[in-house]
This record gives sequence, structure tokens and C-alpha cells, in this order.
Amino acid sequence: MSFPGPTGASDNRGMDQSREITVEVPRAWDRPIVTMPVLVFLSLVGGQLPSFSTRANLYTISLGGAMIWLGLSNRLPRRPTVTPGRGTIWWLIPVAVFGVFEGSTFLLGSTPEFPTFSKLADPLLEDELVRSAVYLGWLSAFWGLVRR
Amino acid sequence: MSLMRALAIGGFVVAIALFCAVEVAARREGSKIPRLGDVCAYVMRYEVGRLPVGRIGVFGLWWWMGWHFLAR
Repeated sequence: MSFPGPTGASDNRGMDQSREITVEVPRAWDRPIVTMPVLVFLSLVGGQLPSFSTRANLYTISLGGAMIWLGLSNRLPRRPTVTPGRGTIWWLIPVAVFGVFEGSTFLLGSTPEFPTFSKLADPLLEDELVRSAVYLGWLSAFWGLVRR
Repeated sequence: MSLMRALAIGGFVVAIALFCAVEVAARREGSKIPRLGDVCAYVMRYEVGRLPVGRIGVFGLWWWMGWHFLAR
């Protein structure tokens, strides 16, 4: 919630009113005890839908679309952000290792002998419980990104 | 299992282990390494004019990953 200043006050016009310092009133439903069961329920439903099916496509596209709409519409309060320092460079190591293997397996045709990550994951994701768990991870991370 | 398949699996396992290791290091007290969420949040702050290019890009990438792994 932001409080407007007194009418005609002009002594702080030059201040940067960034959204990072805006205090939001927490909503009653905006707590893990409410949101997590909803995400678990959506994940269990998603885990029942088989790969390559129209229902799975529509469900994933709809959920992702709803998350993006929430994330772009400024309807939810966002966590304050920090500017990362030079330590960010450490993240390049896992990204580079993953990129080298994903890129090389993709360029060589993603064969059973040298498969991409998604080809390796496909047999694991055929199990409904594993699909639901991955769905929960995907949705939870999406929810976290929306709040950023 | 052929040598090439073992190499691919090993490479992805190492990459995932490295992601976990850097995140654990970032969560230590006084760490100079930012958490992955902080890096994502920083990227999401990028705007061109009033267009939130960073948010659109990160959301779009995550949306595509979910669709790629869970719908097809």
C-alpha cells in the first residue's frame, strides 16, 4: 500500500518512488498454506495427463498463460530485488556444462546412443507420480518467478 | 550401455550437481554468490522503454520448458 502525500506538497518530487520500497498489504490467501495445496492439486491433475495428448498441451499452455498473466499484470506483490555482484559468474559453470552437453547431443541428432536431456527424461516422465512431482516443481518455480 | 550414452548421462548429472552446489554455496551465511532466484529477478528487471523484456523472456522460457517436458 502506498500513501499519497499531502496535497500541494512538493519537497520530495525528486525522489525515486521505486516499487521495491512500496509496502504491500498481505492478502489472506497469499500464504504458502493456501497456495501450496492449490499447486499440489494442479500438479496431481497435470500428472494424470499423458504426454503428446491434446489435454496435456491445453492444460500446460493454460496454466503457463495464467501464470504469465499474473506475473505481468502487477496484481500480486513482489519480493524486493537485490543487484547481484561479481559472484554471479559462478552460475556460468553449471550453465556452461549443461549447455555443452545439451548442444552437442542436439547437434548430433539426439540418438539413443547420445541423447538430449529431454530424451533422457521422457521415460521417467511416463510415471504419473514422477510427472506430478515435476509438475509441482515447474509450477512452484513459476509461482516464485511471478512474485519476483 | 555404450560409452557415449554414459558420457551424456554423466554430463547432465554433473551439470545438475553443479547447479545444486552453487545454490548451496549461495545460501551460506555471508556468501558473495547470489541465489538463482536473485539472478532471475535481476534479469527480469530489464526493460526496453516500458516493455518488461526481462520478465517476458524469463516467463516465456519457463513456460516453454514446462510445455516441452510435460506436454510433448
